[in-house]
Amino acid sequence: MDAAAPLTVVQRRIAIAAVLCVAAFAAVGGWLVDVTLFGGHDGSVAPHQVLQSRADIVDRNGELLARDLPVHDLYAQPGVFWNKDQAATELAAAVGASDARLRRIFASKHRFVLVARQLAPNAQDRVLRLGLPDLEFVRSYKRYYPKGYAAAQVIGLTDPDGNGLTGLELGLGPRLRAPQDGAAPKPVQLSLDMRVQYALAQEVANARQEFTAKAAGGIVMNVDTGEILAMVSLPAPGDASVVAPAGGADPYRNRMVDDVYELGSVFKIFSFAMALEDHTITSLDEQFPIGRGYKIGRHTIHDAEKMPATLSVRDILAQSSNIGTAQIVLLSGADRQKAFLAKLGLLSAVHTELPGDARSLYPSHWGDIQTATIGFGQGISISPLAYVRAAAEVVNGGRAITPTFLKHPEDARGAQLISPQTSATIRQLLRYVVTNGTGKSADVPGYDVGGKTGSAQVPGPDGRYLRGALRTSFCAIFPADNPRYLVFVLLDRPHGTKKTFGFALAGFTTAPLAGRVIARIAPLLGLPPAPVHTVAKENS
Amino acid sequence: MVRIINFVCVALTGFACLALYHVSEQTRVASLELRRVNHEIAAEHGTMSVLQAEWARVADPARIQHLAEADLGVGDTPTVELSSLELLPRRGQAEPLGNSPVHEANDTVPAKQNDPRIRLAAVRPGN
Repeated sequence: MDAAAPLTVVQRRIAIAAVLCVAAFAAVGGWLVDVTLFGGHDGSVAPHQVLQSRADIVDRNGELLARDLPVHDLYAQPGVFWNKDQAATELAAAVGASDARLRRIFASKHRFVLVARQLAPNAQDRVLRLGLPDLEFVRSYKRYYPKGYAAAQVIGLTDPDGNGLTGLELGLGPRLRAPQDGAAPKPVQLSLDMRVQYALAQEVANARQEFTAKAAGGIVMNVDTGEILAMVSLPAPGDASVVAPAGGADPYRNRMVDDVYELGSVFKIFSFAMALEDHTITSLDEQFPIGRGYKIGRHTIHDAEKMPATLSVRDILAQSSNIGTAQIVLLSGADRQKAFLAKLGLLSAVHTELPGDARSLYPSHWGDIQTATIGFGQGISISPLAYVRAAAEVVNGGRAITPTFLKHPEDARGAQLISPQTSATIRQLLRYVVTNGTGKSADVPGYDVGGKTGSAQVPGPDGRYLRGALRTSFCAIFPADNPRYLVFVLLDRPHGTKKTFGFALAGFTTAPLAGRVIARIAPLLGLPPAPVHTVAKENS
Repeated sequence: MVRIINFVCVALTGFACLALYHVSEQTRVASLELRRVNHEIAAEHGTMSVLQAEWARVADPARIQHLAEADLGVGDTPTVELSSLELLPRRGQAEPLGNSPVHEANDTVPAKQNDPRIRLAAVRPGN
């Protein structure tokens, strides 16, 4: 054959087909070599994750507080059952549903019906053992709270569809939702310490029972970071007292955040801080006349207990004299008092991650008598959380702080609100109240507790104060010279006992309660006790 | 020449078919295995998730206290922390314990009165 002879059409087509075949095989061969020898495309896939609709909630030490657990929703096709009534009865027994409801929906015209939601694995096993045809289990999630009702008012609740209803489950909103890309949501770490929460809850519940108080509560806060380590509000879900409707009270209502109270003499901390800032008192030993009453216009202010004719500034706070405090706040005046309380955030709502933010109630007309009564904590209603924030600001060196329920161990103190000198003097005064005043029973050896008692009168529905009804509270800081934690406890309408000689004042009720709480939580919080010689001296 | 090329091409085709079948079969088996392992991982994750939640429930201090009180007859014990490990003297640099503040510490722990669960455990002569 002549090499130069032109190719025929058929030969040319064969050659083109051969070239295409060789090219195709070369490509496939090359890919095979790449895949087998060089690894090629990494075909690995990420391990299957447990899908969650909401993030876990853990406490500051990683203790699990809320988690979505896998469950199944059960659907059925009633049309395939030979005997619908029997199937309804068997399924009702297996899943704990209503027999009548299942009979009704099986008799309906719907092809696909929901039998039960959020079946636990054991219920799912019971259903499978029935051997009914065409049942479908659709994967779902159920929010589980392993600590039961502990801190239930703070953590909150979700509905069956996984939407937050109350507490942080509602307040944290988007932070708890799983990302759209299907990745597992990161756990949300709260500031709560469940060891402290348990100790506080137990002591507050015991005190409420001992003094047959209508309600009770407590807060533990880090004064430098603003972290809330524990918060208790009683009655709470799960309490025996709320099994029967307690006057329609919502057990999920968090009295420490949602309610406002006249807190009484614990408020005097702010009056003394203002006086020190204004230099209206020159020395803690300066004497004020007390007597049996202090007249302002047609009103007369009295003390709860009999007082000496004169008291020094430090003893006015230590003995909780209303008459002395009224004189001290009137030296600053109404406008200055209003501005000072506003600066500490006491006249506005506290915003935290919780959905509720109770607004303070105070008089529209702020005259002399209002200045005097607000000076000792009557005539102004604030939430316990607002009080705790302001008290923390006064004792933490005088700097602003924002309460938070999220773990944030760094110092979060902000703007300087009062001078560090005033803050140091208040801490000294609070320690004096515990060593020499009404708060003696709050002292804990080794921890130099400082604090202030409060026994407020309780207004009735008509606005008049109820006779004999008290709301007692105690604000404690420890260690007093350089406080790290603040403990606030409150009892609503406690009753005196034989042990307290019938008295229900804060010195007999909430002060020892605060002491017991501190004795339990201080070692847990890693606070070393003060040098022992201090303990020995105080006990001698 | 064309015959040789044709033969080589056919041989290559046969070899490629075999290789492809082998790889595809390996891939199918690996894919099944991967799916099985993924399913197992998911199941284990689910089990771990449930067990962690269960552990959080059983380790709840309230539950442990209830069990201790109900089954062991143990009650709340008042405690006072007088010192901490940091305050204890180190070996070699310790002052005699008799002069140390730790030794001078004193405090009393209030005991529950009339608690039937408290029994006399020891008596110190002279007290």
